[in-house]
Amino acid sequence: MRNLFNFIIRNSHWLVAILFVAFSFYLVFTHNSYQRSVYLTSANNVAGMFYTASDNITSFFFLKKSNQLLLEQNAELEKALYALMADNNSVEVSDSVGMNAFVADSVGPPQFVFIPAKVVNLSFSGVNNFITLNKGASNGIKPDMGVISQRGVVGVVSNVSPNFSVVIPVINPKFRLSAKLKNSENYGSLSWDGKNIRVAQLQELPRHEPFHEGDTVLTSFSRIFPKNLIIGYVSETGESGDDNFNTFNIHLATDFYTLQDVLVINDLFYEEQKALEDILQK
Amino acid sequence: MKLSYLYEIALFVMLILLQVLLLNRISLFGLATPVLYGYFLLKLPMGRNLFFVIISAFLMGLIIDIFLNTPGMNAAAFTIVASLRKPVMNLFFEKVEYDEFVPGIYTAAGPFVRFTIFMVFLHLTLLFFIESFTLFNLKSTLLRIVTSAAITILLIITMDSLMYKRKQSEHT
Repeated sequence: MRNLFNFIIRNSHWLVAILFVAFSFYLVFTHNSYQRSVYLTSANNVAGMFYTASDNITSFFFLKKSNQLLLEQNAELEKALYALMADNNSVEVSDSVGMNAFVADSVGPPQFVFIPAKVVNLSFSGVNNFITLNKGASNGIKPDMGVISQRGVVGVVSNVSPNFSVVIPVINPKFRLSAKLKNSENYGSLSWDGKNIRVAQLQELPRHEPFHEGDTVLTSFSRIFPKNLIIGYVSETGESGDDNFNTFNIHLATDFYTLQDVLVINDLFYEEQKALEDILQK
Repeated sequence: MKLSYLYEIALFVMLILLQVLLLNRISLFGLATPVLYGYFLLKLPMGRNLFFVIISAFLMGLIIDIFLNTPGMNAAAFTIVASLRKPVMNLFFEKVEYDEFVPGIYTAAGPFVRFTIFMVFLHLTLLFFIESFTLFNLKSTLLRIVTSAAITILLIITMDSLMYKRKQSEHT
């Protein structure tokens, strides 16, 4: 008995180690990106603070590029504005004829509201990529909201703390999204194979679907993203396990290396649509 | 004695910040990421209390996991490495009389380099295999282990020589 106690005391550091390793593996296996607590992610305030501080320095080096992007976006908006103004004028013309009943109709309540946020941290070195944003629940961000950049789709919010949120980006193997080519209605499934952060894969697109290199890939039906958002461009045909379906490599529109500013999409009808669809699923 | 603890705490904090704010954003050729924080275990005195070694390694792994959103992965790998540290040390170093012996490139170059190579490979093999549980791609995992280990070992040896030199010049 005494020997047994001695043995246990002499080797108790092994017990501690085994306990810690077991606890770690418990964390690994219960790690569910949608339900875990925010304390063990970079959405917690301390980690977020460090990332904000470091971002204040690094964002300085990307100023030129973000400026360029803003200018481009500005130009696009200006173009749209002029088109709208031209439209408006023609409406006013018909207005004078006394046909104004339909005008108010066309300006319904907006479905999507955009919350601008800044990327404070971005990891893309491994397979578990994620993005941390500097806005959280206090700014109206909730899990499952979509995130886009000036150029295209970025990802989906998974965790939210009062002041920070964590986004699962397109370049994470857990990310799935239905997508389609610009000039067709057939949709496939977009995912990422973990190899190149500029390239994702579009699978399960019917083989008869015509395509060309450089075709635009857009979002299809999704609860998270509006329809027809740009995801990327077809770069080449990849390997497919099934003869009836094509797999494409997609050059992503969003450049994750230099991502700085994003918009979080708040879909005002999300709850309503979800509630309605859940009735059927029961 | 006190000074050595202060030095270790500073190293602990520095390595974590270096890892999460800088090194983890590096991905050479889309493969190699330096994982430098294991340097902490290499620089602890040889006879350091085993509980201290294991608990500090677990904490370090967990803090890095929190920053990188990989709960448990770094903690598991690093705790295993920490618990194997003593037997591995006995393998590479001569039985040293005093417990305060700190392994380093200038105190025992050959054994230290071999010890570093072994520990880094052990650490990265565990880490990348735990990480790729969900996405099993053996070839790319092995490639990532080898390239990351190479760049990590290079960094550790460089850092160790530099830090020792700086200390020397402070003394004189």
